[in-house]
Amino acid sequence: MKIVVGEGSCGIAAGAAKVYDKLASALDKSNELTITGCIGMCFLEPIVDIYDNGTLTRLVKVSENDCERIAKAVNSDDLSIVEDLKISEDDELFLKKQTRIALRHCGIINPEKISDYENTDGYKAIRKVISEMTPEQVIEEIKISGLAGRGGAGFPTWFKWNAARSSDGSEKYLICNADEGDPGAFMDRAVIEGDPHNLIEGMLIGAYAIGAKEAIVYVRAEYPLAIKRLEKAIEQATEKGYLGDNIFGSDFSCKMRIKAGAGAFVCGEETALIESLEGSRGMPRLKPPFPAQAGYWHKPSNINNVETFANVSWIILNGGKAFASMGTADSKGTKVFALTGKIKKGGLVEIPMGKTLRDVIFDIGGGIKSDKKFKAVQMGGPSGGCIPESLLDTVIDYKALSATGAIMGSGGMVVMDESTCMVGMAKFFLDFTAKESCGKCVHCRLGTKRMLEILTRIVDGKGHEDDIDLLEELCYAVKDGALCGLGQTAPNPVLTTLKYFRNEYEAHINDKKCPAGECTALITYKIDKNKCVGCTLCARNCPVSAISGTVKNPHEIDALKCIKCGKCKENCRFGAIEVI
Amino acid sequence: MKEISVIIDGKKINVPEGTTVLRAAADNGIEIPNLCFDGRVELYGACGLCVVEAEGIPKLLRACSTKLNDGMVIHTESERILRARKTALELLLSDHDGDCKAPCTLACPANTDCQGYVGLIANGEYKEAVKLIKDKIPLPSSIGRICPHPCEKSCRRRFVDEPISIAGLKAFASDMDMASDDSFVPDTEPDTGKRVAVVGGGPGGLTAAYFLRRLGHSVSVFDMMPKMGGMLRYGIPEYRLPKKLLDREIKQIEALGVELKNNVRLGCDIKLEELRCDFDAVVIAAGAWKSSSMRIPGEELNGVFGGIDFLRAVSLGNAPEIGKTVAVIGGGNTAMDACRTAVRLGAEKVYVIYRRTRNEMPAEELEIKEATEEGVEFKFLNNPIEFIGENGKLKAVNLQKMRLGEPDSGGRCRPEPIVGDTEMLYLDSAVMAIGQHPDLTGFDGLDTTKRNTISADEETFRTSLDGVFAVGDITNKGADIAISAIGEAQKAAVVIDRFLYGENVKYKKPFRVERELPTEYFAGFEKAKRRTAEVLPPYERKNNFNEVSKDFTEEQAKNEAMRCLECGCRDFFDCKLIKYANAYDVKPEKFTGTRHNRNNENKSSLIIRNVDKCILCGLCVRVCDEAMGNTALGLIGRGFDTVVSPEFGLPLEETDCSFCGQCATVCPTGAILEKQPCVKNLTVKEEIVNSVCNLCSALCKTEIHKIGNTVIRVKPSGENGLLCKAGKFSVFALNDLKAQTLTDQSEMSQAVEKIVSEAYRSNIAIVLGPSVTSEEVRAAFNITDHVFAELNPSAAAFGAFEKYGVKTVDEMPPKDVCILVKSTFSNAKARFLISIDFLKNTDADLSIVCAPFVSDSGTYIDTDGVKHLNCAVNSTLPTALSVMKALTSEDSDEKAEDVNESSAIHKEIIRNGGAYRQNLSDSFIKTFTDNY
Repeated sequence: MKIVVGEGSCGIAAGAAKVYDKLASALDKSNELTITGCIGMCFLEPIVDIYDNGTLTRLVKVSENDCERIAKAVNSDDLSIVEDLKISEDDELFLKKQTRIALRHCGIINPEKISDYENTDGYKAIRKVISEMTPEQVIEEIKISGLAGRGGAGFPTWFKWNAARSSDGSEKYLICNADEGDPGAFMDRAVIEGDPHNLIEGMLIGAYAIGAKEAIVYVRAEYPLAIKRLEKAIEQATEKGYLGDNIFGSDFSCKMRIKAGAGAFVCGEETALIESLEGSRGMPRLKPPFPAQAGYWHKPSNINNVETFANVSWIILNGGKAFASMGTADSKGTKVFALTGKIKKGGLVEIPMGKTLRDVIFDIGGGIKSDKKFKAVQMGGPSGGCIPESLLDTVIDYKALSATGAIMGSGGMVVMDESTCMVGMAKFFLDFTAKESCGKCVHCRLGTKRMLEILTRIVDGKGHEDDIDLLEELCYAVKDGALCGLGQTAPNPVLTTLKYFRNEYEAHINDKKCPAGECTALITYKIDKNKCVGCTLCARNCPVSAISGTVKNPHEIDALKCIKCGKCKENCRFGAIEVI
Repeated sequence: MKEISVIIDGKKINVPEGTTVLRAAADNGIEIPNLCFDGRVELYGACGLCVVEAEGIPKLLRACSTKLNDGMVIHTESERILRARKTALELLLSDHDGDCKAPCTLACPANTDCQGYVGLIANGEYKEAVKLIKDKIPLPSSIGRICPHPCEKSCRRRFVDEPISIAGLKAFASDMDMASDDSFVPDTEPDTGKRVAVVGGGPGGLTAAYFLRRLGHSVSVFDMMPKMGGMLRYGIPEYRLPKKLLDREIKQIEALGVELKNNVRLGCDIKLEELRCDFDAVVIAAGAWKSSSMRIPGEELNGVFGGIDFLRAVSLGNAPEIGKTVAVIGGGNTAMDACRTAVRLGAEKVYVIYRRTRNEMPAEELEIKEATEEGVEFKFLNNPIEFIGENGKLKAVNLQKMRLGEPDSGGRCRPEPIVGDTEMLYLDSAVMAIGQHPDLTGFDGLDTTKRNTISADEETFRTSLDGVFAVGDITNKGADIAISAIGEAQKAAVVIDRFLYGENVKYKKPFRVERELPTEYFAGFEKAKRRTAEVLPPYERKNNFNEVSKDFTEEQAKNEAMRCLECGCRDFFDCKLIKYANAYDVKPEKFTGTRHNRNNENKSSLIIRNVDKCILCGLCVRVCDEAMGNTALGLIGRGFDTVVSPEFGLPLEETDCSFCGQCATVCPTGAILEKQPCVKNLTVKEEIVNSVCNLCSALCKTEIHKIGNTVIRVKPSGENGLLCKAGKFSVFALNDLKAQTLTDQSEMSQAVEKIVSEAYRSNIAIVLGPSVTSEEVRAAFNITDHVFAELNPSAAAFGAFEKYGVKTVDEMPPKDVCILVKSTFSNAKARFLISIDFLKNTDADLSIVCAPFVSDSGTYIDTDGVKHLNCAVNSTLPTALSVMKALTSEDSDEKAEDVNESSAIHKEIIRNGGAYRQNLSDSFIKTFTDNY
């Protein structure tokens, strides 16, 4: 039997490496033990897949202690003893409801073995491109596919490729933007960790199309596993002749290298990324000139996101038309989303454009954790906006999502329930952008700072009457005045929360209340004397000893000592602790 | 290049394709504000100030980077644009910490640049100090003596020890000027033919007259008293302000062409309506001349006087009989003047009766002290309730005992009577110095306030009658200190001037960045006691009206001025941020939040950095890298905490900084400045002389910034100008040389002159060495056309070689006389030796004259011509004189400005620190750093 342990970062974080080690020592040598990347069902990690002549048995939430049992089951060919670990039918639907193109090999092949990739039609697309197609034909095929930049802006890929191809100069560069920085987004990491050769092949095709001899992957240093696997993949591909001089005996040569980013979010902005690649401080450049005219070392350069490249080889093999057959009039193909937050089933979801947000969050994601009420979903991270329940039937399409005030973004989908304060949420993202602002332009450096200060005083219950107007004024000024996408989109979380949850702002400012009960400055924890049975659990769990009382008698919270951490409420079994 | 046609602000403009909006606008006189653009560096786009709109494009565009397309229609001043710029400025100002102007200057009701003149005095620039003072105050000697100096009350030195004696320094500089042969006379504009009448010849009226006259208007001042000066003359006793000083200051105003008419009282001798008919505008500044009544019984008795009535009578020489025992009622400066005058009139016992305590007295501390020294007895917590007389003559005053109650809205404790507790004080006379108010007789037709003053708009100074303006004590809130009336008159003059041309303008308080400093800040300053002017001992002063305090000596004044903490920003007159802030009427308070105040200005380096004023335009970092090829400065941190820092946070001296000062040149605010060659920083407007740096062959065009006789800084001129360290800093040597006269002619030099004059001109050849200066090249051609050199591009004056057509030394033909100038290169020397041989072989009469220009010469030349050639610098004598003579005596058609762009290696030379002269200039820079 073949046993596959999901060793994406998510799996490893959940303990997959230990599971692997245990299995390695317990399994009979006749079985094949291997790894794969992120399967997508992060909520079920660690996952162990058992293939018996092509039949898959998927074990989920496997712990170290289960390994002996699993080994026994495998060794004895009796999987019934691990019946309890098998994935539920309901959870199986999480993958079944998806359409995977960019993630098609993720969670299936071993990313560290080039043969695994080759066995699934790997490097056939680049062979086809080099032997059968001109660069113009490649660009045409991409044009037919309707593939658009998956980094967030949704700019047609063929157009960028064509611009770089048409720019004068023989020295051109192809760059992959793998500086995935949105809080809650991990699509690119999953692709690199789970299917690095697919990225390499997509980039090779891009390099061929634009005429680049050098390709660079800019990966954030916080993705060590991705870097390690990609390094290995580049090494293997070079060894096999897929990278290097005269690929497949043709005139086409292309080498590839990795540049690890040092942790600045703004380096995801393409011109800042180029500055960083050149060794300068990562700060955006004025556009124009666009990178296609003057990019890396002022040479024509093309930059695409990981997911964009991950679609390319599929398009070449299956035809642009097949890709374009999926999706809506404006948005073609599939899109990967990283589903996180207060969602039951968090993980990676790839679905065709045109599905609704409800499909993703409720049908695939299973709705809200602990069955609370859905409040909103933040799309596109700090650059995006929130979408309220009333707009859950919005279809996933660049234009439709923009119309809500949010954006498609790179795929981060943070789900929030009724206990999330929307002002606090806006503050969280503003805090992120304000800290990640490179400091170059006035509007971003100081505008986001001042917006954050206003939001902070609102959640602290110190908001001024005209703060909403001032916030809006600043939002539009920053949108208009900031130099790059980071600043221009930074106000989006504030603007959309103001649009859909203005009453929450007003409650904070006028009534000094946080309707979601989350802003600690505006809430008080109190024990309902009629409900409290004096079990002392709250007092024992209070980290600051703010709760007093004797056994079997109602307890009391000292409001002066209370730090409003909510531990008491979490632990109370009688619902005696209320938040006012 | 293809030309395209665009429209900017409705103006059709043809420009070459690819021109940016900013460039096209600038070339056509349309100013688009910007803070991060500079011709010396690549586009950056940080400030967001240059935004414009293009028709058909929804987004705002940055003018610095937007290239024009044919047919583009650009708007640079729509409401949206102005709002965007304003917001950008407000955001910038919300994190810009500093003092545009020092607190003393801001506190002065007349906005006198106190720090400015204190600094000038410290540097010995007394004339400049007076010029600066007289830009705001026409009567500085008088005001310096009598002003209660709000400036000193705001002086930050008080947090270290005591405030600077600002008023005393003002009097010092003004007295010195008045005593000199060439007292400062301000410029007046050509006559405009407009006529203005001023009613009242006190500080307000004279100030209005002074400023309106300077603007070219014809001004007549009408005053009811026999002499001009108003309260300064009739309300301030002689011992505080000698009237001969006032007379002289008034004379200076009269000398500007102001007509002064005394003994003319409005309402009696002349009617307001007549003035309105005869003049284009009328300014009322008639003051407050009536003593306020206490409204108690017995005020009509003989021996009860009003405070200012009493002082006026004394000034007029009609001192009333006051007897032996006198009581002055009141706690203000008039009360002090009255009691001390009473002492001087011979009263044996003088009381001051005040209903609060000494702490609440509004009078100047010094006045109280000196009155006490003169024997005046203060009766605090007493309030007169009745004057008691006998046969119509004052005999006593009944005093109600008081105690202090709760503080009132102004914070002063309100006195309240202690019921039943009174005291009878027997007296010969009493002076009621509790206030004064205007006498409005004769001012019919003007709206008044409920305080019985003339109602005048606080921003336009207009009264209810068209063309009639009013300032000073007669208006609104009533009597105030003299400098307030001066301040109002000064501001009103601007408004009235515009009114005379049919414009309605308002005085608007300008926006200034101010800051609060933590107590720790002041701990770092060494304490130095405040020097006040010497005061005569009481026994010498109390029986006469001689002035009680002496002027500062020069040394005292300088020492006192040296105590200044230099609060105000040196870059004020150059700062683009404050210029735009006022142009765009900013209100940054709404964005008040965290403000960086690191307070770590480094004053010791040649390059002074203050990151609290930095607006992160990045120009310094970029010019260092892009123009100079250095990386001494960089940006560190992110977001709000981004900061410009030298590499590795080291002092600049330990980085690869070449101290070219380009960063200071391009800095749009006061965040980076060059060290000033002054003992105390000068924060006043600089005079700019265009010049050329002649320290090497790059011949960089410069702007020499001077204050008085002091060269204060040098900037490269033009949008793309650069300078090296030598060009930037060694010119300060001029300041040390300014007093020297160059007299030491050497024999050799005389010999050369003699030879040259003996008609050998056609047979002279001059061989120039590699280190000659451009002037020497020029001078050589004044002697002969046959000038040769080794044409090596790295020669210091290579630019001038090309410019003047110096020929290669290889082609030198035989000549009678050969002059070798600083020839040290072996090749040139060899060539020279060859020419010696050659000369010998041709039996020339005179064979060699060697090296007349033995020294290095450095001069600075005004590009307008050579007439501003001030003096020689770097000169070791004596030949600079010859050079200068040559330069100045001959035709001046060759302008230095043509020389500049001749060298292609210009930038490279500057990057290398100005070729050959660096070692030489280093010694000057060292002297500079050692001295300041």
